[in-house]
Order: sequence, then C-alpha cells, then structure tokens
Amino acid sequence: MFRVVVKRELLHNLYSLRFLISLALVIAVFAAGAASFAGSSAANLAKYRETQSQFQETMRGLAGQDATDLAVRRQTYTLKPRSDGFISDAKEKYLPNAIVFSAWNVFSFQNKSGTANPFLKRYDELSWTFIAALIVSFIALLFTFDAVSGEKESKTLALSLANPVSRATILLGKFASGVLSVMAIVLAGILTSLIIVIVLGPEGPTTALAGEVLGFLAVTALLAATFAAFGLLSSVIAPSSNVSLLLALAFWLAFAVIVPNSSVFVAKNIFPIESSEAVQKRINAAFDDLNKAAPPGSWMMNSGNPFLPQHELRANLQMKRLEAEKGIRDAYYQTMFRQFDRTRLVTALSPVSLFEVLAEAVSGGGYLRFRKAWDDMHVYQGQMLSFFKSLDAADKDSPHWYNPSENVSTTRKPVAFERVPQFVEKPMSFVERAGPALKFLVINIFVVSAVFLLAFVGFVRYDVR
Amino acid sequence: MMSGEVQAREAMIATIVKKDFLTNLVSPRFAIGFVLCLVLIPFSILINISNYRDRMSQYRLDRDAAEKTTTEVRVYSTLRPEVVLPPDPLSVFGKGLSDQVGNRTRIWLGDKPFLAAGKTAAGDNPFLASFFSVDFVDIAAIIFSLLALIFSYDAFTREKEDGTLKLQMSNSLSRSTALAGKTLGIFLTLLPVLVFSFLLSGVLVLLSRDIAFSASDWGRIVLLFAASLLYLAVFVFIGILVSARSKSSVTSLVVCLFLWVLFVFIIPVVAANFAESFVGAASRDNLDRVLKDIDKAREEEISRALKAQGIPEGYSCWWCSTSEDGFVETYGDSRDEFENFHRRSMVSEPIRIAYADKRWAPQKAYLDSLARQADAAGAFSLVSPTGVFRAIASAVCRTDLAAHGRRMDRIRQYRESFVRWLEGKDIFRSYGWITPTDPASFKTDDQLTAERTGGEFKTLKEWEEWGSKQKDARARWVKLNMVTVAGDSPTDFPFLDIADMPRFEEPSGALLSGLEASVLEGGLLVVAAVFLFALGYVAFIRFDVR
Repeated sequence: MFRVVVKRELLHNLYSLRFLISLALVIAVFAAGAASFAGSSAANLAKYRETQSQFQETMRGLAGQDATDLAVRRQTYTLKPRSDGFISDAKEKYLPNAIVFSAWNVFSFQNKSGTANPFLKRYDELSWTFIAALIVSFIALLFTFDAVSGEKESKTLALSLANPVSRATILLGKFASGVLSVMAIVLAGILTSLIIVIVLGPEGPTTALAGEVLGFLAVTALLAATFAAFGLLSSVIAPSSNVSLLLALAFWLAFAVIVPNSSVFVAKNIFPIESSEAVQKRINAAFDDLNKAAPPGSWMMNSGNPFLPQHELRANLQMKRLEAEKGIRDAYYQTMFRQFDRTRLVTALSPVSLFEVLAEAVSGGGYLRFRKAWDDMHVYQGQMLSFFKSLDAADKDSPHWYNPSENVSTTRKPVAFERVPQFVEKPMSFVERAGPALKFLVINIFVVSAVFLLAFVGFVRYDVR
Repeated sequence: MMSGEVQAREAMIATIVKKDFLTNLVSPRFAIGFVLCLVLIPFSILINISNYRDRMSQYRLDRDAAEKTTTEVRVYSTLRPEVVLPPDPLSVFGKGLSDQVGNRTRIWLGDKPFLAAGKTAAGDNPFLASFFSVDFVDIAAIIFSLLALIFSYDAFTREKEDGTLKLQMSNSLSRSTALAGKTLGIFLTLLPVLVFSFLLSGVLVLLSRDIAFSASDWGRIVLLFAASLLYLAVFVFIGILVSARSKSSVTSLVVCLFLWVLFVFIIPVVAANFAESFVGAASRDNLDRVLKDIDKAREEEISRALKAQGIPEGYSCWWCSTSEDGFVETYGDSRDEFENFHRRSMVSEPIRIAYADKRWAPQKAYLDSLARQADAAGAFSLVSPTGVFRAIASAVCRTDLAAHGRRMDRIRQYRESFVRWLEGKDIFRSYGWITPTDPASFKTDDQLTAERTGGEFKTLKEWEEWGSKQKDARARWVKLNMVTVAGDSPTDFPFLDIADMPRFEEPSGALLSGLEASVLEGGLLVVAAVFLFALGYVAFIRFDVR
C-alpha cells in the first residue's frame, strides 16, 4: 500500500509545474556555480602557488644563511584553496587562512589580505551547500505545504482515506515522495555541476571526491527531509492551502534567513569574549613585570660575541617573555574557538545552519579544516624545534643559550634546505570530519523525527471534510 | 456627458478598491504578513542598533588612542595624525560596506592612505567573519517583495476561480477600470504595512539613546521609503503580470515564488560570484612585491644622496629611537651627532615624500581593480529589482563603495595638507624634527662626558681608555650615569604644541549629496514598473475570464 501511495504522489509531483520550474532553476544555478568555480579556481590556485613559492624561497634563503635565523623568523603559512570548494566553500574566504609561526611558537592566525575583496559586500559562494541551503529547503516546502490541505480542497483526501489505507501510510508516503522528488532535482543539478567542474576545472575526479559527493547527497537528503516535515506540519495545522503556504514561508524565512544571520549578535551578546586591546594590555603588563624582575644587564647584546655572559640572561628573559605571551594568547584563542563553537550550537536551532555544519564536515573545509591545520602546525613546530636544537647541539661555536626571538646566542651555521622539515597539509580523515559533526547529526535527526511526529499527530486529528 | 462617464468610472474604481482592500484586510495573508513585519523589522533594527553601539564604543576607544599618539609627541618626525571616523548613524538601516572597510587611517609621509584599518564586523574573533548578518534594507528587500507578490499573484486568477470575475466583466466595466481598481486595492493594502514598518523602525531609533539622527538623516530615511515604495510597485506589477498570464492561482503562485527566490536571493549572489570569477582583481602578493621593490629603491636613493653629501649613515646616540617612515627621536647627543641626525633627515624626508607618489601608482591600480570587480557585481545585480533597490539603499545610507571612495579621497587630500603644513614650517630643516633640545645648548662629547661622570673624566677619550680596561661591560656605563644631565631623557621636555596642525574634518552630509547614481537607478525601477504595468495591462486585456 505504501508503495502505491508513494508512486501516486511521486507521479503527481513529477507532472507538476513546480517540479519543472524547480528542475530548471536548480540546474541553472548549479551550472552557474560550477562555471563560476571553474572560472576562479585556476586563478586562485595560481595566486596560491605564488604565495607558496615565496614562502619556500624565504625559508630556503634563511636556511642558507643561518639556522638560527630560520628558527626565530616569524613566517606565515597560507592554506591551500580546496579543489572541492564547489561542494562547500564554508566561507573560507572570510575565515583565517594563514598561520604565523616560528620554530619556537605558533603565534597567530589571520585572514590573508587580498583573500576577499573588501569593496565587495560579503556574499555566499555559489557552492552546492549554498544552493541546497537556499533552494532545496525552499522546494522541499513547496512540494509538501499543500500535501494535506491542498488535497482537502480538491476533495481527493476524503476519497483516499475511504480506501483501506492508514493515515500513517498516507503521510509517510507524501513525506517520502516529497523527499524523493527534491532529491531527483538535486541529483540532476549535482551531475550538471560535476560535469562542468571536471571538464573545466583544474582537477579530475578522485575517489575522495566520490565519497564527498555521496556524503553531500546524504546530508542534503536530511535537509530535504527536515523541510518536507515542516511543510507537512504547516499543511496539517492550517485550514487552507493558502495559509499553509504562508506558514511554510514563515518557517523558511526564520530558518534560512533569520537564524543564520543573527549569529554574530548571539556570539557578541550571549558569549562575549575579552577585547583584543585588553589582551594586549595584559601581555604588556606581563612584559613589564618580567623586565622589572630580570637581573640587570639582561638586555645587553653584542652581536659580534655570542659568548658574552649577559646573552644568557637575555636568552632567559626572551624565553620567559615568549612563554608569557604564548600563555595569554593561546588562552585567548581558546575563548575564540569556544565562542564560535557555542554560537554554532545555538544557531543549530535552524535546520539550514545544521545543514551547513554537516556539509562543511562532509567536504572537510572551513572552520574544521582550520582547526586541524592549527593543531598540525603545532606538531610541525615541535618537529622544527627539535630539529633546530639538534643542529645547535652539534655546533661547537654556539653557547646553546636558547633565545626564541633573536639570533644572538645559538648556532650561526647554515643548514641544507632539504634537511629542514616541511609543513604538509593533510586532508581530513573520516573520523576528523565525522567526530565534530556527530552531535549536529543527532540534533538534525531528532528534529526531523519530532516535526514529523507533530505533523502525524496533526494529521490524525485532521478534519478531512 | 463625458464628465459623467469619468465620474462613474472613478466611482467604479473606488468601489473595486474598497472591496479589494477590505477582502485583503481580513485575509490571513494580511495578518501573517503584518506579523512578519512586526517581528522582522524590529529584529533587524535592534540588532543593528546594538552593532552600532559596539562600533561607537570601539570608535571612542580608537579615537582617544589616536588622539594620544598624535598629540603626545616631542619631535615632529614622529608626528603622524590618525583619522578615525565614527560609524554613520544611517548604517543602522543599511550597513552596506561599513563593517568591512575599516574606519582608521594613519597619515604617513612615505605612503598615501591606502586601505583603512579597524575592526570589522567580526570584532575580536576573526572566525565570526564567516557569519553574515542582515539589516533593515535586507529585510525590507525580502519582506516587501514577498508581500507584494503574495497580494498580487491571484489578482485575477482567484476571482476567475471564484467566478466573480465573469460577473464583474458582465457589468459595464472596462478592463482598464478593473485593473486600475485591483492595482490600487493592492497598494492600499500594502501601504499601511510599509508605513508601519518605517514608523516602527523610526520609533526604535528615536527610543535608542545611543543614536542621534540629524534632520538630513531623517530626510534620507524618507528617500529610502520612496525607494521601497518603488521597489514594492515593481513586485506588485510582476505579480499582476504573472496572474494575468496564468490559468490558475496555483500556477501563478508557484511562478511568483520562484521569481521571488530568483530575484531576491539568487541573482545578487550569482552577480557577486560572476564578478569574482570573471572580473579578476589584481593580486595582493604582486602588489606587495612591487611596493617592496619601490621601498628598496627609496632606501638606495637615500643612501646615495647621503654618500654624495658625505653624511655618515651610522650613528651612536645617548638616547634615540628610530622606526619606520623616518621616525627619529634623539636626546643627549653631542653637537656633531645631532648635526648628523639633522642632516640625514633633511636629505631623506623629501625623498620619502616623493616616493609616496611612486608607491601610489601601483596602489591605485590595485584599488581600482578591487573597485572594478565590486562595480561589476553591482552592475550584474541590476538585473534584479532587489539589486537596484540595495544599490539605492546603500547610497542613501552613505555606506556604499562610492561614499567610501569619497571619504578616502578626502583623507588623501588631508594628507597633502598635512605635508604642506610640515613643509610650510620648513620643519625638515629644523632641529625640532629630531629633538626638542635647543640647538644653542648643544655640547661636545667631552663636555657631556665631564658632566655625566661628575668631572671624573675630562674627555670622552679618557673615559674610553679607562673603559677598555674594565672587564664588566656594565661598569663602564655606570660611570656615565653618575650625574643626571638635563636634556638627556625625553621626559625632560614637554609635548609639541601642534595647535595649528590641520585636522581632518568630515563635511556634514547634505541631503542629496552622492545620490547622482541613485537617480539613474531609481529611474530604472520606474521604467521597470511602467513596463511591467504595460505588459500586465496587455495581458489582462487578453485574459480569458472563463
């Protein structure tokens, strides 16, 4: 019986005008997004290669000069633009994408200047995620908002129910066919996009990409299911299809426009963090205290004589300053991460925000990817440091007084660039993606079930006359 | 006879308007639309007032810090005023670019104002930059268009389905009269919602103690209202056209909603994406490299000039601090050392100022390429009425790119007047550039050594000979600090008197300034409205009422 209902509903959807328009719109937007991605990804990649080769050249130059210069110089590593950015760009253009480090510390992160055009009002990338968040949610509602109230108006509902079919079967059938119709449209869009990206884009298909596409389909199905459930809900609580449409639109506005756009407000007012000026003040105060406590002569320096006894004092003082600043800054970064995570959890109120988090996890990008790179950079910095210490230990002309900020009292011999450890960005593993996304997945499944249940309760009590 | 006909026609239109108005008023869509406005408009205004408050307090901090660094200087070489601009009160309605372009610009000698600095929308946490936010203009663009379509999509189809249209047409009623009545009825229903939305936001702004609108700001809100009305009209006519071309209400509704999503949400994003992908902006890395080369050339030129005049580049000072952009501040030196600092600055600073022009050429090319890309996005989005409306709104709120460009131009002019002021004082040739010490009180090394060691050493050479025998390097310096000599440290001098320094002043915005382009865009909306209405009229004439 269920299959009969689904088949009937599916055919009803397929022959409808909304299906045709949705299909045309979705294919057009997917194609536009893919063309735009293909148009910009080559240029972005070229820019990145330039940045990366400059980074390598600087490192090579420093290594050829002096190992200590290599160790103490602050360098900026820029993250590579993702080749699967067309699935979910995760607003990477506006997120920090460069990490400042030396062998002694990972200092800070920033959004590399020139990444986004400051004169162009911030906008969404036409990625699959954006299209799905906006259009899939919309058409899922459009396919379901009059599922019950519309049939009541066309007087077929009473007829259907006169047959030996339970209300649960009918509702589930409408739900399943709504999701299936939407996914058919999405699939057409995705195929269009994939063809364009693979033909015009810089990289061919890979197995990793195939996995991400499947994952994206899965989370999009969840999004479609969520909005189909909301559509059914508005269909059973409104007396007429006109009203249920307005209700559905209100749901959509709240979830796709209002909640995601109030995140900054939520972050600043519910989870405020210390201002960067206040943090800088604390660092300066810590520096002042260290300077006062330092034995006299700590600032003396003679670059011609590494073994000048005061250099040991200077090295100690600089090390303490580094540790003090690192402690304060790293704690501050933790409050930033916490603020971001909590804000995301609050905006999970909206299925669209939930979907965006899930899609980000599927494509292994955005904030998650930055956090991984940030952690990996700390591991790399540890490797660099032990590499440098081993170089210094082998040098008899070095007093071995570690000064993390200046080239004063450690080895001054050059080192072969080939021996220097390099930072390599690793793609995120399945566990790294799925782990942080799990709680959002659970929330989403709970929301779908709860809303569908509500719709079912509403339908059971629905007056079909 | 004729006038009687006109009167009858007018009466008929009035009847239709009244009937439609009343039907609409009691419909659930009016209630839901009204509630949407009631919730969303205050939501956007309150969020943006809170945002404005944050930016204002940040502005006050920045301004005070800038004032401190500007006025608390003792030599002219470290005097670099910083321009800090307050947020525009109108940004509460349309924030435009205001939270992403920065509001602080320091005036340098070797560099013209390029990109403004300052905290952006993200505030202290750069990750928040990945969250977007909406303002009144965004909400208005979404809601007003939706309401316009919701009320017009079934203008004819519903009456056709109800069978009342046939009835109407069997009376001696011309189709143009019916259309005029319908249109006016819809406008009459929507106008109160629009007025209410603006009044509500106006009241919220008035009630907020943090924000003060000037008379011309309120005038601009009236302009925004006019633009909204025009925008609303365009969507009403789109709805009427679709309705007149559709067979059933459901069809008309589906088409209208898709047009809504397309115009309001998709086209603006596609426009920005296409601009970004197909109108390339210059590479920042490349610019930085070019600028680095220019800086290198400048340093070489300064070095050559110093060599040509036989001025030594190295120095040994009692107290000095040097930094980027020619900062030199020094105290307690010998006459010769002071003289060398002085001669160096006399040579280097005019070269530094001349090189600012050389840096500006590539900088301007870079800024132009960014502006070209943004303008292309703006031009592409004119395809959608929403794009036109947003462009007008951000110009009205003085938060568009053009307003930012004008502001930066004025700051660049201010830099010129600041440099002229320095040159007018002939300050590079004065010792005041590098030290507040009176040239008449300059001493020789020997005099200074004698004074500082309390007469223990008569000449510098004597102290050096003694010092070379000392094991502990520190002990040598202790001797030189036996007696504190006036003028050896910065705190012995007062801050500069810079009362006559030119200050940056922003002209108070005239009501209509900077709206030249908006007139054209407004004209575009009018043309679109008239054109759509004409199409709707033709479609309705040919409408099959059966």
